[in-house]
Amino acid sequence: MVDFARVQKELQECNKDIDVSGISIKLKGDSNSLTHLTGTIPGPLATPYEGGNFNIDIVLPDGYPFEPPRMQFATKVWHPNISSQSGAICLDILKDQWSPALTLKTALLSVQALLSAPEPDDPQDAVVAQQYLRDYQTFAATARYWTETFARTSTLGIEDKVKKLVEMGFPEALVRSTLESVGGDENMALEKLCSG
Amino acid sequence: MLDSEASGVAAVATSSVKSAMVTDSTTNASIPMAASNSKDFAKKKRVNRSAKLKQCKLDARREQWLSQVKNKGGFGDSSGHPPCSESHSSMENLEVKPRVEKEGGSIYHHYSDSDSASNSPTSHTSSVSGSSNVSGTIFTGSGGSSSSSGGSCSGSITGEDEDDDGCLDDWEAVADALAVTNVKQEQDKLSFDNRRVVPSVSPPELKPEERVEGNVQKGPPNCRAWKPDDAFRPQTLPNLAKQLSFPMKSGRQYGCAWGCKNVVSVPSTCPICCEDLDYTDSRFLPCSCGFRLCLFCHKRILEDDGRCPGCRKQYDYEPIKGEATIDGGSLTFKLGRSCSMIIRS
Repeated sequence: MVDFARVQKELQECNKDIDVSGISIKLKGDSNSLTHLTGTIPGPLATPYEGGNFNIDIVLPDGYPFEPPRMQFATKVWHPNISSQSGAICLDILKDQWSPALTLKTALLSVQALLSAPEPDDPQDAVVAQQYLRDYQTFAATARYWTETFARTSTLGIEDKVKKLVEMGFPEALVRSTLESVGGDENMALEKLCSG
Repeated sequence: MLDSEASGVAAVATSSVKSAMVTDSTTNASIPMAASNSKDFAKKKRVNRSAKLKQCKLDARREQWLSQVKNKGGFGDSSGHPPCSESHSSMENLEVKPRVEKEGGSIYHHYSDSDSASNSPTSHTSSVSGSSNVSGTIFTGSGGSSSSSGGSCSGSITGEDEDDDGCLDDWEAVADALAVTNVKQEQDKLSFDNRRVVPSVSPPELKPEERVEGNVQKGPPNCRAWKPDDAFRPQTLPNLAKQLSFPMKSGRQYGCAWGCKNVVSVPSTCPICCEDLDYTDSRFLPCSCGFRLCLFCHKRILEDDGRCPGCRKQYDYEPIKGEATIDGGSLTFKLGRSCSMIIRS
C-alpha cells in the first residue's frame, strides 16, 4: 500500500520551490490517482539538453517508499542511459540503490544529473552509447536536435501557435486538430502537417 | 609581600573611600535602607574614580602609621586603636567600648571595631567594625561627650590616616580569613553585628546626638546598607558578579546550542513515513550514521533488505533482538561474551 500521506507531502514540498529547482510533479493526465504522476525536469545548462523540458512518467509501486518509484521518460531523449525507444532509465537509485530516505524530488534531481553526466559504460541504449563513445560531436548534435524537436516547449500560447502555422499556409481547422493530436507541440504539428 | 601589600592597600583604599561615601550619602539621605543601597552602587562608581587618589593618601597614611609604630612601639597593636592622634578622649572612648562589647561580643571584635572605625575599608570586618564603632560612639555618647562621639565619627573619615596601620594588618589577616571562610558565615556575622548595633542605636540617649550630628546616624544605616555591599564588595563582590554574569551568558549560549542540536539531531517526524516520532522513536538510534526513523519503518526495512536508508549499510541485527525479545537478546549477548572470554583465555 502506497503511503499516500508521504506522497502528498512530497508533492507539496517539491512544488513549493519549483521556481528554484525547476522540477515539478503533477498528477498524471486524467487519473486522480496518487500512484501515477508526471514529473518535469529542465534540461541541464551547458548540455545538449539545455532548453528542453523533459516529462517523466512516474508510477509508484505498492511498496513505495520502501520500493523505488518506476520512472520512465515520456519525452524522447537521445542519451546513453535512456532508451531512445521506451524512455527507460538506467539509474542505480531507481533500482538496487534506492533508499526510502530518497524522495521523488531527489530521484528526479538524480535523473537531471544523469542527463548532464552520461555513463556510456553502463548503457541503456547501446546505439546511443556507441555513438557517444565514438563520435561525440554527432551524438551531441543528435541529442540537441532531439531536445529541440521533442523537449522544446514553446513559450507561445496555443493561439499564437495556431496563428504562426496558419501564416505558413495551413488551414486553421487542420492546424488546431493537428496541434491537439500532438499535444500542442509546435514542431511536431508542423512535421505532421508537412508529412500529411 | 610588596605586591600583596600594594593590592591590599588598593582594596583598603576603595573600601575606605566607599565607607566615606556611605557616610556622606547616609547623612544626606537619612535612614531609608533602599535608598542607601541604591546609592551604594553610584558610590562604587565614584570610588573607582577616586581610587587612585585614595591610594596616594593610603601610602601617606601608611608611612605615618609606620612612624607612629616606631614611636609608640607595641602600644599600637594590642590596644592599637589608640594611635588616633585626636585625643585621649577618643582613647577613653575606646577603652569604654571594649567593656561594653565584652558583654555582647568578644575582644577580637573590639580590635576589629577599632580598626573598622578607622579603617572601615576591610569588607566584612570593616562592616563589623563600623557597627561596633557606632555602638562605641553611642556608648561614649551616653558617657557624656557628644563631641567625642562626633570626633570619632568624623575621625572615621578624616582620622583614617592614623588608624590605617591596624587596618592594613587586619586587612591582610582578614583577607586570608575571608578566602577560607564562607561568605554566608560572614554575612551571618554581619547580620548579628547589625542586630547588636540596632538596639544600641535605639536608646533615647542617641537621639540628641543624632540631631546634633548627622554622623551618628550614619553608622547604623551604613552598617545595614553596607553589610550586604560590604560582604560582597572587596572579594566576594567580584565573585558574585562573575557568578551572576557567567552563568547568564553561558546559560544563554548553551541554551541556544542545545536547542539547535535538539532540533537538528532529532527530527520531529519520521523521514520515511512522515509520521510524528514519539518518545520511543526519538530515542531509537538504529544506525551509527545517526539516521533516525520510526520503529515501524525500521521493522519494514528489516523485513526487506535491512539497509539503513541514510547510509545504505546493513543494519546490525543486535538492536532487532533487543527490540523483539529483550531476554533473548541479553542471553545471546552473555553467551557471546562468555565465548569470547573462553577464546581469549
